[in-house]
Parts: sequence; C-alpha cells; structure tokens
Amino acid sequence: MSAARIAITMGDPSGVGPEVIAGALAALPPSARTGLCVVGDGAVMARAARLVGATLGFGEGCGAVPLVPVALADRATIVDGAISAAGGEAAYRAVARAVELALSGAIDAIVTAPLNKAALHAAGHRYDGHTELLAKLTGAKGSFMLLASDKLASIHVSTHVSLLEATRRATTTRVLATIQAGHAHFRELGLAEPRIAVAGLNPHCGEGGLFGREELDEINLAVEMAKGEGIVVSGPLPADTVFHRALKVEFDLVVAQYHDQGHIPTKLVAFDETVNVTLGLPVRRTSVDHGTAFDIAWKGLARPTNMLAAIAYARRMVACAG
Amino acid sequence: MPDAAARPRPFALTMGDPAGIGGEIAVKAWRRRARLELPEFFLLDDPARIAGIARQLNIEAPIREVDGPAAAAGCFDTALPVLPVRLAKAAVAGKPSPDAAPAVLRSIELAVTLALAGEAGGVVTNPVGKAVLATAGFKHAGHTQYLGELCGPGHRPVMMFVCSTLRTVPLTVHCALYEAVRRISADLLRHTAQTIAQALEIDFGVSRPRIAVAGLNPHAGEGGLLGREELEVIGPALERLRAEGLNLIGPLPGDALFTEKSRQHYDAALCMYHDQALIPIKTIDFEHGVNVTLGLPIIRTSPDHGTAYDIAGTGAAQATSLVAALWLANDIARRRQRARAAG
Repeated sequence: MSAARIAITMGDPSGVGPEVIAGALAALPPSARTGLCVVGDGAVMARAARLVGATLGFGEGCGAVPLVPVALADRATIVDGAISAAGGEAAYRAVARAVELALSGAIDAIVTAPLNKAALHAAGHRYDGHTELLAKLTGAKGSFMLLASDKLASIHVSTHVSLLEATRRATTTRVLATIQAGHAHFRELGLAEPRIAVAGLNPHCGEGGLFGREELDEINLAVEMAKGEGIVVSGPLPADTVFHRALKVEFDLVVAQYHDQGHIPTKLVAFDETVNVTLGLPVRRTSVDHGTAFDIAWKGLARPTNMLAAIAYARRMVACAG
Repeated sequence: MPDAAARPRPFALTMGDPAGIGGEIAVKAWRRRARLELPEFFLLDDPARIAGIARQLNIEAPIREVDGPAAAAGCFDTALPVLPVRLAKAAVAGKPSPDAAPAVLRSIELAVTLALAGEAGGVVTNPVGKAVLATAGFKHAGHTQYLGELCGPGHRPVMMFVCSTLRTVPLTVHCALYEAVRRISADLLRHTAQTIAQALEIDFGVSRPRIAVAGLNPHAGEGGLLGREELEVIGPALERLRAEGLNLIGPLPGDALFTEKSRQHYDAALCMYHDQALIPIKTIDFEHGVNVTLGLPIIRTSPDHGTAYDIAGTGAAQATSLVAALWLANDIARRRQRARAAG
C-alpha cells in the first residue's frame, strides 16, 4: 500500500504552527516523511526549520518536504507572536487550498496547525474556528469534535457555545447523532464493537430528576435508540466517574455533553498527546489540540509532540480506510 | 503546650445509608487502624448491624457499645466503638428504604451535637442516598446544607474536594446544570472565595493562599464569544475581591486549569459547578478523594463516593477514601488546636 498523502496546513505564521510542523518533520526519519506535504509559505517554513535546528528543505529538490505554496499578502505586517490580518489570511488560504486538494482526491487527509480566531476575523473571515471554516468549505451540515489519545477519547455533543446553550443542545437527536458518529469512527479504525459510555449532563445524572431532567427526558432515549441499532453503549453515567472508568479501559469512547466535560479529563491525562479530530466532514481532518501560543511563538520553546500525534492519527485513519 | 492538646477528641463517624457501604468501610478502616495510624473515631450506628457486617465479611472487629466520645477514646485500640443509633427495621444491603431515614438523620444530628459541644473532634459522614431521604420527607439537597442548618443560623457551608495534588471547590453543588449557570453571582463568589482563603490558611496551613478561578463557559467565554458570565459577573467580582486583598487568578479556561503544570500555580481551584470540580479530582486520584465542609464551626469531612448500593454487602468496598477523610479531619483538628494554643 502506498503512503498516506497528508497535507499539513501552516496555520497562522505568527504562531507556533510553523515551528511545530518543522520540529515534527525533523523528528521523523526521512522515510517516514513520505506522503507528507506542507501547505503554506516556503520562506516561513524555511525560517521555522532554522529555528528548530533542522536541515530540512521545503519545496522541490531531493529530500525536500513538498510544499504547496499559498501567497502571503502584506508579509511585512506579519510579526512574531502578534495578531495580524495578513497572518489570518495566510492561515485561511492554507486551509482553503488543503480542502481543495482533499475534495479533488489529491490528498487523503488534512492535518491543521493552529490559527488565531481574532486574526482570522481581522482578515474578514468570520468563522468561530477551524471546524466551522472546514464545514463551510466542504459544505458539511454538521461536525463532531473528537479528542483522542491512547488513554482516553471523548466526543462532544456540543462544543463552542456557552454552557447555558450547551444544556439546551443535550437533545435526543444530537446525543444519538454523536453516539453514531463516534461509533462509526471507531469501527473504521478497526474496533469491531467499540464500547461507548454516555456522560450525563447534570450532577449525578440528575439523581432521578432531582437535579435536572435532561437525562430522563432526552439522553436516556438516545442511548436506548443507539442500543436498538446494535451499538454497545451505556449511560447516561455520572460525569465525575465515567472518565475514570474509561481510563481503566472499561470504555473506548466517552460521549461528553459539553466542551469542558470532555476537555478537562482528556487534557488532564494526555496533555501533549491529545489529538483533535473532526468527524462528519467529507474530508479527514486532525489537528493539534493547542492554540497559536503567541506568548512562546518563534522562541524555539514549542514542542512538536502534539503535531506528531496529529500526523500519526491522520495516518491511522487513512490506513484503516484502506 | 500541654501534650493532651496534640491529640484531638475522637471523631464521630455517621451511619450513612445502611443499605450502602458505610458500615463495611468503617469496619475495614478500624481493622487497619494501627498500620494506617488512624485517629480515634466512633460510629453512630446500630451495634447489632455493625457486628453483623464484621461477622459476614469475616473481619475480626470486636464491637463495643459506648455512651459517648470519652468512652470511645478509652476502647478504640481494642474494639470498634459504636454509640447506638438503632434502626427500627433491619437494613438490607443494596436495597435502600425510607424506613431507615429517621436513624440516618438521627446519626448525623447526634454527631453534630457532640462536635458542637467539643466532645467529638469533628464529624466524618458516610454517604447517604439523597433520593431515598427525599422520599422520607428530607428537604435538603444534600448533607452539606443540612449540616449547615444543624450548626445554627448564619452559617453558609462551602464544599471542598481534596485529593493528593488538588483541592477544588464547586461554587454551586446539587442543582441542574442550567440552574448552576443561573446561580452564579457576585455575592456567592465573594462568600465562597473568602471562605476558601480562610480555610486554606487556618485548616490547611497555607500562608498567602492562591486561588485559581475557573471560567463557566468554554475557553472562559473567549472574550464574550462563547458566553458572557465571565465578562459580566465573574471577572468584575474577582476584581473587587483582589482589591480587598485576595490572591485570585482567573477566570481561566476550565480545560487548562487542571494539568499538572497549572496545578503548581495555585492552592485551590474555585469551580463554577459540581462536575467541573469533581471530574478533575476523580480523574487524578479516584481512590483518595475527600469532601470537606468549610465555613462551619465544626470540622466535617466525608469520603467523596456515594452509597455504592451495587457492591454493598459483597465485601468489595474499599475504605481508602474514608481513611483519607479521617486523616484530613485529624490534620485540620491539629492545626486548629495549634492555632488556638498560639492564639
């Protein structure tokens, strides 16, 4: 089987994206770079390679990492560690180009380096983040955020909305769709019967309706319906213990009802290894789970561990899809 | 300083739901009292029931009926002291019944009375079943609020969870998540933060305590994009409290707050709701979490697990969290004694 063709988007050039990409590629033996390309600016990537002390070329040439160039507007306004419209625009163009490549079948998966939301907005692209941008570019109706590490995986019923809004989104339909998306993904990864746990929304799962009724009125039914489809799923289970049980390998995946419910335990147990995977798009996409980290960008401090994990996960997704 | 002051009075350990694992973990803890260097404690429970548990699980634990804490101190080394609180009807493991409610509540009330009188060093509570107490007419959302009431008017108890490397406090506790959002207020933040700061200094021996405050919304609201409580309520309240001298950090994104690195920077985390405080505790240290009540005149700790009806009576229950609760109660009692002696 030929190597997975994966495009890594550069992210915001003022952030840590370029250096974690360069660091990750440098950490891979040349044979393991086969199939990888970077979508971004050649000069920025060459500078990042120098920063991390890697003898790594980008573009044409023997041993160089293939580069899909995107034009960089107003290069002079892009400053290390600062928000700029030009930086946001560069990040946007890299993602847009990578999506074109993925939709045309030229690549098998996209790995994204972080972009900065404020910079993206300054460039006139009003999206809440990568995931929303990808949904728009691919025409997807909805998507699901999966946080995955070897220790713990969680998929979210809702993500970037206020907690109050999240309580409204814990509906039978959404919970069921989230269970199904997680189930399908783990099946694709080769688990014959993924064991899924659904976390409750309220403390103690509402304790029989004393502290909230979403479990009784919405979540129970979603779990029953998923069971009816033959999915191995338990719940709703109290959120304060379900992640511990998953860590003890009782479950392969936890369905979290809101952003922090899934993010707190996952980041706690696997801060550097947690990969952000978007499910429900017509393209495969993984991402680092950190931001642009402007405070440490271009200082040689950012570690490529998370980028390596994101690349490895994308490769696994492609390999399992055959 | 007189030596007697170094040894706190025996702690009052309540019955909890007799259909749960309370009796079993009490017997198991007592059995290992010497190796674990447990402080003296006595159970407020039905002596026949406790003897039955020890017999059934084949644990060598002689039971001694006592009439009060002083007698308990006298016999703790050789027998598990039980101050009788008799059940009207024998309890069945794993089958909670409202019939037990009067004894369950009586056990708590008696423990609090003895602690308030200074006869007991403090109260350690076994888990109760909130649903079954509710069917018996119990109106409180949980132990903590009930204890606050028993201690008299003017007390606003604050719940803290403690494990090996983290202390967290939920601003709101036993209510629906949407209700937790609604209850966040400047007044509640002030009372809770002040209570934490005081307890960290006096009960935990932390000078100049640093309190990290979690945001409510994802990314702490991300400047208002993902919710406005941080901008409108939490942030301004923290500003005022800082001006009054509290060392507060935040509001910080909940998912960044509990990593090993972040935990170096504060002594306790003030969380906005129950699960935000408990998920990290139980993920970091499932076995040894303790629930401690701040802001009461008495010391009160509790294991942070529930009644565990599913394993009650099987012998599978572990006393680790109860042991941690007894240790913590003892630590706090000693610090308060030292503070009084120095006072």
